[in-house]
Amino acid sequence: MNIITKNLRLFWQGTVLSYVALFAWFRPVTYAASKILMPLAQIIFFTFLGSYASGGTDVDFYVIGNAIQITAVSGIFGVTMSIGGDRWAGTLPYLFGTPANRMMLFFGRAFMHIIDGAFGVVIALGWGALLFGVDFSHTDFSALGLTIIVTTTSTCGLGLLMGCLSLITANVMFVNNTVYFLLLIFSGANIAIDTLPNWMQAFSKALPLTRGIASARTLIAGGSFADVAPLLVSEIGIGIAYGILGYFLFTWFELHAKRKGTLETV
Amino acid sequence: MNTIEVKNLRRIYRATTGVIRRKVKEVEAVKDVSFDIKEGELFGLLGPNGAGKTTTVKVLATLLIPDAGEVRVKGLDIVKDANEVRKQIGFIFGGERGLYWRLSAIDNLRYFASLYHVDPEVSKKRIPELLELVGLKGRGDERVQGYSRGMKQRLHVARTLLHDPDILFLDEPTIGLDPVGAREFREVIRNLQSEKKTILLTTHYMFEADSLCERVAVIDKGEIVALDTPSALKKHVRDLSVVEIETFGIDPKVIDDIRKLPFVDALSTREQDHRQLLLVQTERGAEAVPDLIASLEGMRIGRVTVREPTLEDAYVRLVGGKA
Ligand SMILES: Nc1ncnc2c1ncn2[C@@H]1O[C@H](COP(=O)(O)OP(=O)(O)OP(=O)(O)O)[C@@H](O)[C@H]1O
Ligand SMILES: [Mg+2]
Repeated sequence: MNIITKNLRLFWQGTVLSYVALFAWFRPVTYAASKILMPLAQIIFFTFLGSYASGGTDVDFYVIGNAIQITAVSGIFGVTMSIGGDRWAGTLPYLFGTPANRMMLFFGRAFMHIIDGAFGVVIALGWGALLFGVDFSHTDFSALGLTIIVTTTSTCGLGLLMGCLSLITANVMFVNNTVYFLLLIFSGANIAIDTLPNWMQAFSKALPLTRGIASARTLIAGGSFADVAPLLVSEIGIGIAYGILGYFLFTWFELHAKRKGTLETV
Repeated sequence: MNTIEVKNLRRIYRATTGVIRRKVKEVEAVKDVSFDIKEGELFGLLGPNGAGKTTTVKVLATLLIPDAGEVRVKGLDIVKDANEVRKQIGFIFGGERGLYWRLSAIDNLRYFASLYHVDPEVSKKRIPELLELVGLKGRGDERVQGYSRGMKQRLHVARTLLHDPDILFLDEPTIGLDPVGAREFREVIRNLQSEKKTILLTTHYMFEADSLCERVAVIDKGEIVALDTPSALKKHVRDLSVVEIETFGIDPKVIDDIRKLPFVDALSTREQDHRQLLLVQTERGAEAVPDLIASLEGMRIGRVTVREPTLEDAYVRLVGGKA
């Protein structure tokens, strides 16, 4: 077998198996709830709340914002489980005892969550069309598809960094929930960014999702790929930056744990 | 060149305790340990709890960075050439953790095979062979979650053979296995040995070390106190006999008194149900029996036997009668 196909097969095998192994929500009922009910609940809640507060004018704003933000369920919670789960499984010594390429290992752990997260967004947008009549007739679907993939990827980048924190600290669910809510507030999913104070706007711009949500709104309103291209470039750039930061933290963690003898501490 | 070379290995753990007034507590797990293992040799590492065996194995397995000393595997430095070393070695730490419980045994093996870059075509063939080797044939599709402790341990053995390493580090591999399982496992080790693999084995079972290992090192408080073939170690205690006395509910103070008797070289005890077996090492052999019985006056005594020393007795003497 050719070396490239061999490596691709190994990557794929590792990616899928680690996803099933570590993503605790990957069981039929829990998964269905996280993919179907949770997005539905979030969209209904914020759309009713938001349109009530704004006088019922801008339903699309809330539906699209929350539908894209849903990707953080996979990107933050899912990826964190996939990175931090080895600590609970006690597999860290066996993992770090292999010659596996650490970069492939690390980013591979997020791979399935990108697909998973994108799938979740599609379902959420479907709810939007079905329940709130969001109109997709002017939408450039390939550009929207790209927006979803890019946004999901960049959110997973932040998730990778959070996952490393979960290897280091025990309190990660608290951290994760906080990040999720920060994204709800500051990504522009529910509050228009330009109504925020300046320093909050700066914070918004440093987060993944913000530009992806803006891009999706533009596209669904009939915008073209050229309109959103700069947004998407920045969005993916931010995600990569978080991912790389996460990777450095991951390699630091491995070295530190081998120095301190803490590979097995829970 | 020796396959494994450990020179003046030292490893300290520093643990910080306390939230506000932080204190650093140091444990010298391995103080100064040197030994070599020849190619194809089965080498045993024995020692009481906390002696530093697991720490030594972790250093060899590239999972701990030494504080001082030099450790080489096939001439490769375990810190600088860690990744090369990892391709050559396999290791297991006794116990049931370290597997993905949500995956089946086969999927666990497939995952680790991918981490070791084993060609998928090769692992497809090897995985069923390994499952058969460790006695898990027919159970490979079940989730590890439902495995018993011994089954998980067997799976670890299969896991560590996936990439067909030349060198194996086995830290208490038979702990928790049933007697038949442990015997089968020793058979597996013998087979690996006949395949010319270099093996480092730690165990608390002396007969296991005696029957398997070509040489053993006894480590105590982070230092090697003896290193030789099992038969040479037994020679250290050749001049001694072991008196075994069965007692029922003996007072620990009496044990201390016996230990202080001039003709007693070492004493260890073993609990069995409501009985305690006193194992007294003495040069006087059977002649010591009346004196020993006299010092147990007023206590209920069962069987008394005098026998030749075993590797375990040699070990007890080396580590100061603590076993
Ligand atoms: N991660 C750690 N952090 C702090 N101290 C540790 C750590 N691991 C081991 N130690 C200490 O180092 C010493 C040696 O431990 P080690 O696990 O190497 O012993 P061992 O010979 O394997 O014992 P056992 O027979 O009980 O398995 C012990 O005093 C132990 O408490
Ligand atoms: Mg140990």
